[in-house]
Parts: sequence; structure tokens; C-alpha cells
Amino acid sequence: MTTRTAIIAANGELFDAYKVFNIATAAAASEHEVTIFFTFEGLNLIHKQASANLPLPEGKEHFAKGFKNANVPAIPELIAISQELGVKFIACQMTMDVMGLEVDAFVDGIEVGGAVTFLEFAKEADVTLTF
Amino acid sequence: MKVDHFLDATGLSCPMPIVKTRNAMKDINSGEILEVKTTDKGAKADLTAWTKSGGHELLEQTEIDNVLTFFIRKG
Repeated sequence: MTTRTAIIAANGELFDAYKVFNIATAAAASEHEVTIFFTFEGLNLIHKQASANLPLPEGKEHFAKGFKNANVPAIPELIAISQELGVKFIACQMTMDVMGLEVDAFVDGIEVGGAVTFLEFAKEADVTLTF
Repeated sequence: MKVDHFLDATGLSCPMPIVKTRNAMKDINSGEILEVKTTDKGAKADLTAWTKSGGHELLEQTEIDNVLTFFIRKG
């Protein structure tokens, strides 16, 4: 049976994005079925403009050089790789309503859903992670 | 060793060596051998674990001048 990995992305800075997308791509590349639920600040990670310019945490700006030196892929590239590997993205409807965001603000291929949509997937998951 | 396919993943950081290996393995036949080169130190444990979980066989793994080489037979 396929291994399932369920991820909640609830924070919106660059470090958060790498935690979420690195685990998601590694899981998908290991043939897991992966769904990520993006909620609150986590929505930044799939926002068309914001995802390409995510901030480093305050006081950690100097790590920008480290990312470059380590040849770490950019977040838009990791988003594309995730989607190619079949990772499913769910944007939280309630957060979108609160923030006044429409689905076209996000990268293509996402679904919009509520907590239950995610829970239906997560209840059968082998791995559940929150970032 | 008779190698059927070669993947150069040097210079790439996690998770790219795993992603590239996965994609390369998709395109080859069961029983064929893929040689993967990487400079990602984390790949030593990662690719070994990935190979096992995917039902493949790690035939040999070497490390020369910070380049890790894996010979993987597709399961």
C-alpha cells in the first residue's frame, strides 16, 4: 500500500518553505502520496508573487549567502518539482476569506478546501508533519 | 561492473539528488544498474535509505575526493 504523508504549512518565511517543500519532494520522490494544507501565513508559500520573495527570519538575513553557496534550489523551482511529482496543494478557504485572497493569487494546480478536506487525507496518513 | 545508466548529481543539494535519482530510475528497466554521482554529504544516508525503501539494491558505494558514487540495481 502507498505510504501517505500529510503536511500542514502554517508559517510563511523562507526557512518554513524549505522545510515544507524539501520534505514534500523527498517524500514524493520516495513514492509517498503527499498532500500539503497551506493555512494562515503558510499561504505565502504558494502565493504567486510572495513565494518567489519569501523573507528570511529577522536577524538571519546573512543566511542568504549560505543558500546560494549550497546551490539550494529556489522555492518556485521546488514548487514546480513538487507538483511534477504529484504533491497535492490545498489552500485553506477560511484563511483566504480572512485575507481577501482569490484562487488566482496562487500557483496553478492548487485545490481550495477546508480543514475537513485535509483531515480526510490525513486520517489515513502514515506520516503527519506540521511546519 | 557493467553500468547501464549514469546520473551526474554533483553540485546539487538536498532534495535534488533524490529527486533526480528517482526520475532516472523511472526510465530504466528492472535489473539494470544506475550509477549516481553526488557531492551532497547527506546523500550517503539518504540515497542508501531511498534505495532500500524503493525495493532496489545498493551494489556498491564509494567516496573519492568528496564525490559519493552509488551503484544501484533497479528492483
